[in-house]
Amino acid sequence: MASESTPSVVELKLPCKPEFVGVARLTVLGIAGRMSFSYDEVEDVRLAVGEACTTAVERAVKANKTDTDISIIGSILGNKLTIEVRDQAGHPIDAADKPQTTEVEELDEQGLGALLMELLVDEFNVESYEDGTIVRMVKYAE
Amino acid sequence: MNLKVDTRSVNNQASMIDLEGEVDVYTAPQLKQQIINMLDSGVYHVIVNLTNVEYLDSTALGVLIGGLKRLRERNGTLDLVCPNPRIRRIFEITGLDKIFDIYTAEQDAISKLDVKEGM
Repeated sequence: MASESTPSVVELKLPCKPEFVGVARLTVLGIAGRMSFSYDEVEDVRLAVGEACTTAVERAVKANKTDTDISIIGSILGNKLTIEVRDQAGHPIDAADKPQTTEVEELDEQGLGALLMELLVDEFNVESYEDGTIVRMVKYAE
Repeated sequence: MNLKVDTRSVNNQASMIDLEGEVDVYTAPQLKQQIINMLDSGVYHVIVNLTNVEYLDSTALGVLIGGLKRLRERNGTLDLVCPNPRIRRIFEITGLDKIFDIYTAEQDAISKLDVKEGM
């Protein structure tokens, strides 16, 4: 076990391709499973990280950058799980607002991934850098 | 990480798409293609059965929204069967439970379709 001041860190690098997003989710299940999260909370983390990878893959496909990598860094410190998803796929991530409409014609089907990430973790921020985007998510266990 | 997609007729105007596995950025195109196939073959009432779906992400939501839009343009419907509370929660937290008719049991979706369309 790590001490309270030294985080336990897991790093994973994946091809920025659709078929590898499931590998990221499996890894995150393993990381979150080390903490005292409920089953639903572990699922939330899995979905949030899956969404971060999905947005990277979608942007990579549009920018013709599927030969790049996604880096996932999971860090456990006490009851705090921080997961950073770093891509080289350029372009910022736009979050959709939670739909206020019940009319499907008015519904924007883009940006739901960022909306989900915001809703599923306790802290969420997106940072752009020269080559891509870093999504940083924090979830606290009880 | 696979998705199995099967289809079957519900009646002469409606079909069921049975999904099994994970619907994500890799597999969602299979679902999209199946909805397009139904539109092309003149089936405008579709029920997507999520009973055996273990994982569903925003890509899947986008495909379902796109499918609903296309079917509505033809006065059709796209309803969901989703007994799994974890999968249902994704629709609830995104507010999409107000857009889709979501049923717990397959038979309820079929019965409601009959009432809605007078089939």
